[in-house]
Amino acid sequence: MNVEELVREALREQAGAEPPAPAGFAERVLGARRRRRTRRLASAAAATAAVVAIAVGVPLLDSGGANDVRPSGVVDSGGVRAHPDQSPPRELIGAGDTVLAAYYTAKIQPQSAKRGVSARTYHLLDPKTGRYEKDSRWSFVAVAPGAKTAAVLERTLPAHRIGLLDLATGEVERWIPVQHGVGGLAFSYDGTRLVATTYDENPDLRTKEKLIGGAGGKETWTWEATFGTSTRSGFYDLDVASGAGPWSPVAPARDTSSRADFAYSRTGRLVYAQYVGGRDGLQQFYDLKGGKAAAPADERYLRSDVPARLSPSGRIAALGLTKEVAGSPGRSWSSLRDPRTGKEIARVRGSHLLAWTDEKHLIAWERVTSLEEEYRPRLVLVTIGSDKVVPLSGVQEPYRPTDVQEPWEPVFARR
Amino acid sequence: MDAEAQKSFREFVAGRSTALLRTAVLLSGGDRHAAEDLLQNALVKAAGRWQRIDEPEAYVRQILYRQQIGRWRLKWRRREVTVAEPPEAGHAPDAAGAAELRLLLRSALSRLTARQRTVLVLRYFEDLPEAEVARILGCSVGTVRSTTHRSLARLRELAPELAGLDPRPQQRSRDFSPLEARP
Repeated sequence: MNVEELVREALREQAGAEPPAPAGFAERVLGARRRRRTRRLASAAAATAAVVAIAVGVPLLDSGGANDVRPSGVVDSGGVRAHPDQSPPRELIGAGDTVLAAYYTAKIQPQSAKRGVSARTYHLLDPKTGRYEKDSRWSFVAVAPGAKTAAVLERTLPAHRIGLLDLATGEVERWIPVQHGVGGLAFSYDGTRLVATTYDENPDLRTKEKLIGGAGGKETWTWEATFGTSTRSGFYDLDVASGAGPWSPVAPARDTSSRADFAYSRTGRLVYAQYVGGRDGLQQFYDLKGGKAAAPADERYLRSDVPARLSPSGRIAALGLTKEVAGSPGRSWSSLRDPRTGKEIARVRGSHLLAWTDEKHLIAWERVTSLEEEYRPRLVLVTIGSDKVVPLSGVQEPYRPTDVQEPWEPVFARR
Repeated sequence: MDAEAQKSFREFVAGRSTALLRTAVLLSGGDRHAAEDLLQNALVKAAGRWQRIDEPEAYVRQILYRQQIGRWRLKWRRREVTVAEPPEAGHAPDAAGAAELRLLLRSALSRLTARQRTVLVLRYFEDLPEAEVARILGCSVGTVRSTTHRSLARLRELAPELAGLDPRPQQRSRDFSPLEARP
């Protein structure tokens, strides 16, 4: 007998002597999976809400005549502006009709031993220099298309006034006072309206919780959003030009995550928000009086966690990750579907579709690591009908549940 | 994961988890708790893609192996395995000593690195050819070969009793380099 044969025998003997797997192992696995997804949802929901706000709206603010500083010379319309070496980005990134108008990072600010707030810091595109500049005045920013106007909330949430910020001058042109405190904002697709989600408490509150099961079974701590304690109270449907609009109450449910901002449907006749359920990316629609409503015919297959949603013409729906192929790096494909039937019409590269740049291209996150390594993505431009990806940004920094600072998240706007 | 997928997942775990756990125990060098954690992680990952996986068992096994290698890559500290009795030298193997030798070997296996052990488990427990091991671990055949040889050499260091065994290469491992084959 040689060493290999002995190794073979020793391994088989050892394996054979092992008692069976514990009863209920499947339940243990499914329970662990639920806990992990809940943790991930807490940050993903917050990220999505802001990215969803991208989408939408034409800048209605008129900075006016001589004061009107347009981002000409910075935005290379139709072209691709990429900085694959920059993470987070320092200089303008964009493609086709879409520009990275801002990005933010979120960091836990402890308020007591067990309580903290995940506070965002935004970097806004300065149209004069084409660079992203830190603007720490705001806790929430929704950028209107053209990247000339943004709706902003000041540092303390919920906020009792909404600012309309001229991105060229960096000054608030107008304040809209609100009676119910606001925690999130999103423009309508045509930019004429602003939905402001109201909360009784800061929607980004976190509590410190023990996380067991780190490397070596060591005890570690993590800051979690608390589920089942949503303080969302409703939403304002505001006319941007006048700042006026009704507030509609919407009672929170047990499946409402702590930040679950409303956003308009494509036509602006309904609003929707994410809720937590049996799968990721569920969305509930409401009419503008706050009553539950069925999804519009072309939005019923969309997912609230895939921000790209409908293509500019409305004829293609961007959906979720559908295929991954091993390799170094691993390659992902997401599903594009017929919005009316839900049938897949194509697959496009990218693990997370963020924004359409025209009818054929999208900006997406795509991984640079293999499938078994930690997921680390960069922004890329993907094309329907091509497996080629064009890197647009550097690679997002790694993030672990125990980190107090979250990686940068993009905020896009139509130009 | 819808109800139907959950049902098929539960059936898979009920039917296959004992076999998978045995592999995980070998990969973990006999540490049952580490093995259950390893398998749980792999199954959580598989559950996330359950409806898109064609061959669940192959998929879960691949995650198991790669997790082990991944830990090694990330330079995570391997959990030290306490060995009650250090393997002692000096017992010449005889026919009656084969069982004892296997015990010595098991303790020596627990002291290999995760990567070394994973390669041995794939080659000698799963009986996979080198090319298949390379595909699963995402490395070259040359790396599989050299890791196998180094792992065997390390076993001989840890358990000098193995020195008495026939070191001659067999047909299936004709690529033994003379240096590595030396006891």
